Amino acid sequence: MKLSKLAIGIVALGIGAFLTSCGGEEPSDINTVEVDTTAEDELDADLFESPDEDYHLPSPLQVASIFKKSGLEYNSDATSDVSNASNHTEELKQMLNFGVYSADMAYCVLNEQANEGRKFLTAITDLAGEIGMEAVFENEDLMRRFDANLEDKDSIEILMIEIHERTEEYMEENDMQHTSAIHFAGAWTEGMYLGVYDFENNQNKDGVGAQLTEQMAILGNIIKGLKDPRNSGTELEWVISDLEHIQTTFDGFDSVNAFYEDESAEELTLQDNEFEELGSLIKDLRAKITEG
Amino acid sequence: MKKTLTTLAIFGLVVLFAQTASNLTEFKENIATQKAEAKDELKPYRFDGSKVTYFNFKTYKQTKEVEIYLFNNTDYRFSFNGKSLPNDITIQIYDKDKTQANRVLLTEFNGIQGKNKVIESSALNEAYKSKKSNATRLKRVFVDYVIPATPGAENKKPTMKERGAIILVMGYKN
Repeated sequence: MKLSKLAIGIVALGIGAFLTSCGGEEPSDINTVEVDTTAEDELDADLFESPDEDYHLPSPLQVASIFKKSGLEYNSDATSDVSNASNHTEELKQMLNFGVYSADMAYCVLNEQANEGRKFLTAITDLAGEIGMEAVFENEDLMRRFDANLEDKDSIEILMIEIHERTEEYMEENDMQHTSAIHFAGAWTEGMYLGVYDFENNQNKDGVGAQLTEQMAILGNIIKGLKDPRNSGTELEWVISDLEHIQTTFDGFDSVNAFYEDESAEELTLQDNEFEELGSLIKDLRAKITEG
Repeated sequence: MKKTLTTLAIFGLVVLFAQTASNLTEFKENIATQKAEAKDELKPYRFDGSKVTYFNFKTYKQTKEVEIYLFNNTDYRFSFNGKSLPNDITIQIYDKDKTQANRVLLTEFNGIQGKNKVIESSALNEAYKSKKSNATRLKRVFVDYVIPATPGAENKKPTMKERGAIILVMGYKN
């Protein structure tokens, strides 16, 4: 899409210059003819040279699936309040909560709570309209298919994958990949919150606890993505600061240091006080993101 | 005379830019098609996302690296599509990033140009355990695309025949 627009722009620029030369004054010197190639340079730099180090972050559906396999139970009180969606008027909050609701939708769908999941799909659709991604959801067929398959978990999951794929393609076509780190920061925080909630309320919590620590591995790349210079117009400092605080706190835990010193260790298990501290930080950040 | 030359020069540039933009558009459209092909190879694993790595062949060797997380109790499938490669490259998969001297090479292959190839995390885990004592399981992998030096390449203003992309589509077993 961007390329097509650029192609039209380049041709228009050229034709404009051509017409000007036909009807205007004769150039005083042929050597002074210059054509601005900045647009082409930017196009090359933006789209056709990936960074030397890159990463792939897991989809909200995969994260929810991993937590579920680890024993996470569904808690209807744990998800974010969809009625707050319209209260998020700042673009940053809208992008973060787009991620929060995506994680909640995945959580509901995987736990066979499709009716609850539908509420989050509506909220996500509304927020997408606010953050310039309405094209991803403008097909009314999405909601119709969701409604037609409320009782069919597999079909709903496939629909969610389709939404994820459409979002990924849309962001790539429109050179918006840098903002995906903001959505992901919201989704990651909500996923961790749901895990912490379950960990605190579920007696059989070992699997969820291990999964919470495993998800910490992603945090460094989320922070890196948020720090992309193209996100500099967004007032992200408080999010980055809170996430960095979570990272440094986690890295300072004795259990974490012991785990990384032992290459044969398979799972990282935090001490109760460490879990409490990590959980507290996650809950504080989640509250700041979701409050309307 | 000057006016005619100016007109011809501008017209030539317009045609050149339009052709460049058209070629790039086609390049991008091909990638969308190839991504769909790579996605088909994931089945029955669930699609989790894709990563297109763009590069230009240059007069010197380059390495581009993509980090991928592998979570507990989950099997992954990685589908590589090399149909947007004008020349072949080498793909290497390691347990650690390229700054780590002691990293383990889990698998390596070339001949990806014009083809699609699938790798599963179970095979990578087996290689990891066989090559490293006390190893338990991989928690992440680093995919390195080793792009060979191309003599005569235009490093600063690459032509279409020097542009390349490798598509990686990831899936997990539900």
